Amino acid sequence: MSTPVDPGAANQPVSNVGDDFGLGITLPGTATVDESGRRRTHPITPLIHGVTAIPIGVIVVIGFGAGAVEQFGIGGIALALIGAIVICLIVAGFSYLGWRNRWYWFDDDGDFRIDSGVITKQERRLQLSRLQAVDVAQPLFARLFSMAELTIEVAGSGDSRQKLQFLTLTEARALRAEILARAAGLRQDTVEAPEVVIATVPPKDLAVSLLLSSTTALLLLLTALILAVTFLTEGAVGLVIALFTGGIPLFVVLAEFLKYFNFTVSDSPDGLRLKFGLAKTESRTVPPGRVQAIEIVEPFLWRRWGWVRLRVNIAGVGAEDSSGNKEETVLIPVADPDVAHMLIARVLPGVEVSSLPWHSAPPRSRLRSPIQWANLAVAWTDRVFAARSGRITRHIAVIPHARSQSVRYTQGPWERPLGLASVHVDSTPGPVKISARHLDAVLAAQVTQEQAQRAGVGRADDRTIRWAAEQKDRPRDESTEETGS
Amino acid sequence: MAVEAAFTSSDAWTPVSPKLVLARRIVLLLCYLLVIAGVVALFLIPDVPSWAAWAVLAGAVVVFGWLWWLIGRRVRSFAYCERGDDLLVSSGIMFRRLVIVPYGRMQLVDVKAGPIDRWMGLTTVQLHTAAATTDANIPGLVPDVAAGLRDRLARRGEERSAGL
Repeated sequence: MSTPVDPGAANQPVSNVGDDFGLGITLPGTATVDESGRRRTHPITPLIHGVTAIPIGVIVVIGFGAGAVEQFGIGGIALALIGAIVICLIVAGFSYLGWRNRWYWFDDDGDFRIDSGVITKQERRLQLSRLQAVDVAQPLFARLFSMAELTIEVAGSGDSRQKLQFLTLTEARALRAEILARAAGLRQDTVEAPEVVIATVPPKDLAVSLLLSSTTALLLLLTALILAVTFLTEGAVGLVIALFTGGIPLFVVLAEFLKYFNFTVSDSPDGLRLKFGLAKTESRTVPPGRVQAIEIVEPFLWRRWGWVRLRVNIAGVGAEDSSGNKEETVLIPVADPDVAHMLIARVLPGVEVSSLPWHSAPPRSRLRSPIQWANLAVAWTDRVFAARSGRITRHIAVIPHARSQSVRYTQGPWERPLGLASVHVDSTPGPVKISARHLDAVLAAQVTQEQAQRAGVGRADDRTIRWAAEQKDRPRDESTEETGS
Repeated sequence: MAVEAAFTSSDAWTPVSPKLVLARRIVLLLCYLLVIAGVVALFLIPDVPSWAAWAVLAGAVVVFGWLWWLIGRRVRSFAYCERGDDLLVSSGIMFRRLVIVPYGRMQLVDVKAGPIDRWMGLTTVQLHTAAATTDANIPGLVPDVAAGLRDRLARRGEERSAGL
């Protein structure tokens, strides 16, 4: 069912979603099927969940072990180990009960159904006609066994995402293909996506870029200074401070490095697919029509290579889950100018960011923003509105008129005597905020008025909107449609 | 002012009910009960020199007077304007704000009233778009006006609904 786009890719396997990083261990057993065609996930699932609890067990061993040794001698270690094993067994036990009661199947209406729950039964019906994305991911421990989890996302904010843990990688790919094929039967534009890699981030570039991001570089420089002063004065207090100023950014860099390791952007019919992660591989689909706004971030030390980071606001993502929103909003952690240009062209076709007609903030805005005033500017074309800010780390935020929600004009007590004002264009929740600050007040008022009109025209012309139109309802109106009875 | 002229020119702005001034001042008084309790405590604690307590009292009185006056101006600054394709809400004295919400982008119109507002016969109309940053509140509306506004907004929103 895969149709490779170019002849060179003809040798591609049917599905290349999710790379196999396993140790080559394949386990016996497959997903069980009952008489009515309902399927269970792989019986190894409880074991993986149990193994996942090992880190908690280790903490227990370390936490209680030390105390136990003092009290019971060597026997205390055994006691702590038993405690850790019991925790793993309990987790595995609960997981087993959950696994026994979790069934998935395609019902007669062509929807995907998942029944689960031990005490509270839950029945979910995922309407495949509203399918947004099916992703295959391999969390660390699952990967050891070549297992994968499947994430199915349908249109609608809130809890519109359903995870299926765990399937063998082959089964996960097959199920993904089946879901996409069934969805294609309802909606003609979805087929199993042949992916073409269009951009990758080499680990070296990622490491360098993370170390040179403005905050990190500043804190590391500060650490070096503190260390130098500490050694010169032979004081010990500086070391403690250096531990924080140096340790925290290194920790953050390491975390981001692990997270965005091997970042790959591929093109597929259902949008751009992002794959990344060292310990936990994740894959996300960014349908171009769902990108609400894009931000180009350019830290000071990246500028000699022209590197940028691209962040996006995506409808329905990030609104509810505050913890998980960041991972979905980075389009590419670091990109050279050509790659960045190409990616921007994908998500905002026909927009030339490098040649936007900027209207700068007046020189008197220096009194309000002494550092970034020289870079503050606003621009608009017949398709997009853009705002520029930041001096050390430059930001350019771009929003198509067709995606702008409301327009705000604000004037604070410092801006008023200077005759300045700011214009904000509201986008869906996400990291990108479109604020053109400290403009000339008369220009700002005019821009606000015109932006409201341009947004109206942009909406009237927009062709991509039908695709996303179904998800405009708020989650509270949606719940009835997603959970079958 | 030239800036205001750009917005006010041809549009008919509706102010909110002046009763809101009283409602907000009642809230201020209730908050000040706590401040009064604090000041009284200062006078009763023997270790605190009396001039310090008097200074705090004077400060509290000045702030009270300023807030009392500010509430009056702030409430008068609230106004809304229904135009052909969008709704304008303006507010603020220190931090001036004007929000333009296109009808097609409205997702929800909430009508809310707290206990004091209810007692005074006032309600707040709040507009929601897909953006969480859209800050379009119109407080201090008489219930009939609020219901009428809500219905008009909901109808126009439906007519011009534009998805995301």
